[in-house]
Amino acid sequence: MATVQKSGVPESGRGANREYQSSHEGFLRHRGFRWMKIATALCVIAIAAYFLTDPKPRPSGSTWVGYTLGTIGALLIVWLSLLGIRKRAITEGRWSLKAWTSAHVYLGLSLIVVATLHTGFQFGWNVHTLAYALMMLVILSGLFGIWAYSTLPSALSTNREQMTQGQMIDAIRALDRQLNDAAQPLERAQSDLVIAALDEDPFGAGLLRRLSGHYPQCATQAAIMGLAGEHDAASERVEKLLVRRKAQLERLRRQMRLKAMLEVWLYVHVPATMALLAALTAHIISVFYYW
Amino acid sequence: MTFRIRQIEITATGREIVRDRDVSTDTIAIGRSTENDIHLPDLAVEARHATMALHSGGRLEVAATGSLGFVRDGVDTRSAVIDSRGGAELGFGTYRVTVSQDTDGAVLLTVRQTDSAATRSGDLEEKRRFSLQGVLPGKRMVSWGLGLLILLAFLAVPIISHATRDPDSKKGVIGDASWNPGGLSLAHRSLSDRCETCHVKAFVSVRDETCRTCHKDVHDHADPQRLALARGNMPLGDRILWSVAHAFGKKGPGACQDCHIEHQGPTRLDAPSQKFCSDCHVRLKSNLPDTRLGNAGDFGKLHPQFTPAVVTDAMTRKRTPVSLDDAPRQDDGLAFSHKLHLDPLGGVARMAANIGAERGYRPGGLQCQNCHHKTEDGVRFKPVQMERDCEACHSLAYDKVGGIFRKLHHGDVNQLIADLSARDYHPSLPAGTNRERPGQYAPGGLYSFNYSAPAWHGLQLRGALSKDGICGECHRPTTINGKLGVVPVTQPMRYMEHGWFDHAAHKQEKCESCHAAKTSTMSSDLLLPGIKDCRTCHVGESSAAKDKVVSSCAMCHGYHTTAIGSEKRKPMATKIAL
Repeated sequence: MATVQKSGVPESGRGANREYQSSHEGFLRHRGFRWMKIATALCVIAIAAYFLTDPKPRPSGSTWVGYTLGTIGALLIVWLSLLGIRKRAITEGRWSLKAWTSAHVYLGLSLIVVATLHTGFQFGWNVHTLAYALMMLVILSGLFGIWAYSTLPSALSTNREQMTQGQMIDAIRALDRQLNDAAQPLERAQSDLVIAALDEDPFGAGLLRRLSGHYPQCATQAAIMGLAGEHDAASERVEKLLVRRKAQLERLRRQMRLKAMLEVWLYVHVPATMALLAALTAHIISVFYYW
Repeated sequence: MTFRIRQIEITATGREIVRDRDVSTDTIAIGRSTENDIHLPDLAVEARHATMALHSGGRLEVAATGSLGFVRDGVDTRSAVIDSRGGAELGFGTYRVTVSQDTDGAVLLTVRQTDSAATRSGDLEEKRRFSLQGVLPGKRMVSWGLGLLILLAFLAVPIISHATRDPDSKKGVIGDASWNPGGLSLAHRSLSDRCETCHVKAFVSVRDETCRTCHKDVHDHADPQRLALARGNMPLGDRILWSVAHAFGKKGPGACQDCHIEHQGPTRLDAPSQKFCSDCHVRLKSNLPDTRLGNAGDFGKLHPQFTPAVVTDAMTRKRTPVSLDDAPRQDDGLAFSHKLHLDPLGGVARMAANIGAERGYRPGGLQCQNCHHKTEDGVRFKPVQMERDCEACHSLAYDKVGGIFRKLHHGDVNQLIADLSARDYHPSLPAGTNRERPGQYAPGGLYSFNYSAPAWHGLQLRGALSKDGICGECHRPTTINGKLGVVPVTQPMRYMEHGWFDHAAHKQEKCESCHAAKTSTMSSDLLLPGIKDCRTCHVGESSAAKDKVVSSCAMCHGYHTTAIGSEKRKPMATKIAL
């Protein structure tokens, strides 16, 4: 997050009165919510068109309002999908990636209105409703993504405490090496506990464990418990090292949990988008095939 | 106070060389230059990088002296306090210094160089493990998999099946049920699994010819040229929409599917909304100046007055359409007063009460249904029949022979002439006058008085067909082809052949709500209600009135069969909430 001095005020002579302001504007508030306003206008127009016309026998995708909303919706879906390509080129200006992302978010949300009105609230077990359901899945996962991107990075930063991810791993490695040396005088049973702790891959956890942050079978914790009764110097040293290892491990796990939450929605969002594009293609072609 | 510095070096063959040396001092220096106690030849290490001071109790204080810090247990720092018994690991550039306590109490500093520079930048592969990449199947693979699966199941299979099917086969197209956007109408439900029955050609909209393969005898609403004229200049919006529709290969306007919109669930297809009619009829007069029809757009707002076909000449039974606004009179050939018959205090009511239940008459006087009988379906009323509906009072008996009354044959003048001219009929002897008073009251007796009673001399042929005769009570006598007779009576079952009215649907109403019979004294009064009466309950589709019956054109009119169609129509089982 960049900070700049307020322009036009010479630094000298102002002393403690220097003012700083943040120049950062996230993709949600980009240009004073420009895309939120545009998307809202689109929704209002769609709702007005839906309720001010009285199609017979009932509203559906095959009235002129339905076809218009469907065309807008389909174009929007294709354009929104292109963010996946567009994001690989980071540019600034009117069509900066940030502007594009802002439009992606708000126009994507407006699809809830546009596409739902396009259906005329007619649903069934068919490819048309499949496309709608996939679209809603994409939008809901995107909503989760917005929440994650707007709240989790600060939590991630707090958790790191100026450590890099590499340092988190290095810290555990350093403790592991010391543990390996310090545990040399231990008996077989205690040694096995230390080996189990050292052998445990911190990154071996699956999706649910990473998302929940609960590790009931943590080998480091088990080793700490196992060595708690020993009072010789070597055991106490190993135990201290294990406790430090546990603390580092917990930090790493919190980091993994936050990262998992930041990423997991994309594992729904992206495949569901591709599935949606396929279902949308089938939806449109099938309508014209049996025209 | 001894530091034991253990330097471990690895030879080219991988063999470790371990060198121990003891430094007996409180403070040692660490850095790249050779005068340091621990000499670390790495460019990332400063010349004098840090100092390490040993305090009592094995406590070790490490502080960076230059601008760069060092790593303690993987974490960057500039100073650290270490308990040598607990140990720690310090990093200086690529060198690692492990702090521990040797068995003799000396602080053991094990120095070794790690083999890669990756410890500085961090291992990218390792960092990647924080993400979900290795935990979940790849996004790209799942994306393509799902996309292709959907395209295959919902697009490729039905298209290939449709393109390669045998048209004569009874098997439908595989997988096209997933394309069905909504259930078919009640009439077409049996075709639900046979999409290709109507969708004959791919990418060609359903054609009227296809509909006509089954619906062979459907009439056009009117001559196609007149239909096109009536449609006239559509509003700009409609023209634009139709040009778009034509660009996509739709036929119309006027194609079957323009009105009969399918796939709207199990509904009836035959009652399209008024919009489909009003498109033309709302401005029919301007588009089709020679039409006899008035403009109609909405029953409540724009609909011409009814024009029933009224009998205007009883002799020829000619019927002429006349607007109810023009106060039409009918000439049905009858002489009849509804008011006289329905008056609850009049002579008719009295006579009906005398006859009573035998003919279904109630004490309150005659009711409409005593004479007007519903048809079987309840839609309209049968013509009044003299024998059934009038004769209880208007007797046609003219003679009595042996307890049997002889009656005239209603409606047969020749028979009437024959009956009244027959030899065995003696009109001078009134029927039933052969009884005599007894004793002194008998003719010739003391109290007998021969007054001249207004004797009825029986039914005379010459009087029967006169204005005051038995026929003249209800009929208008005339001469037809030189013979005596009466003006023929016409009782129209339907006045409005191009519309539909269902009496059964209105049975909750009283007859007099619509038919002003109680005040009608002449049979030439046309007792039909006008559009104003209908509008007290019925409004058009555009109305939002909740206490009215929203009525589309199709409630009363047919499209394909304007002239005769209503005859085929079944009574509507419409629930009307008022």
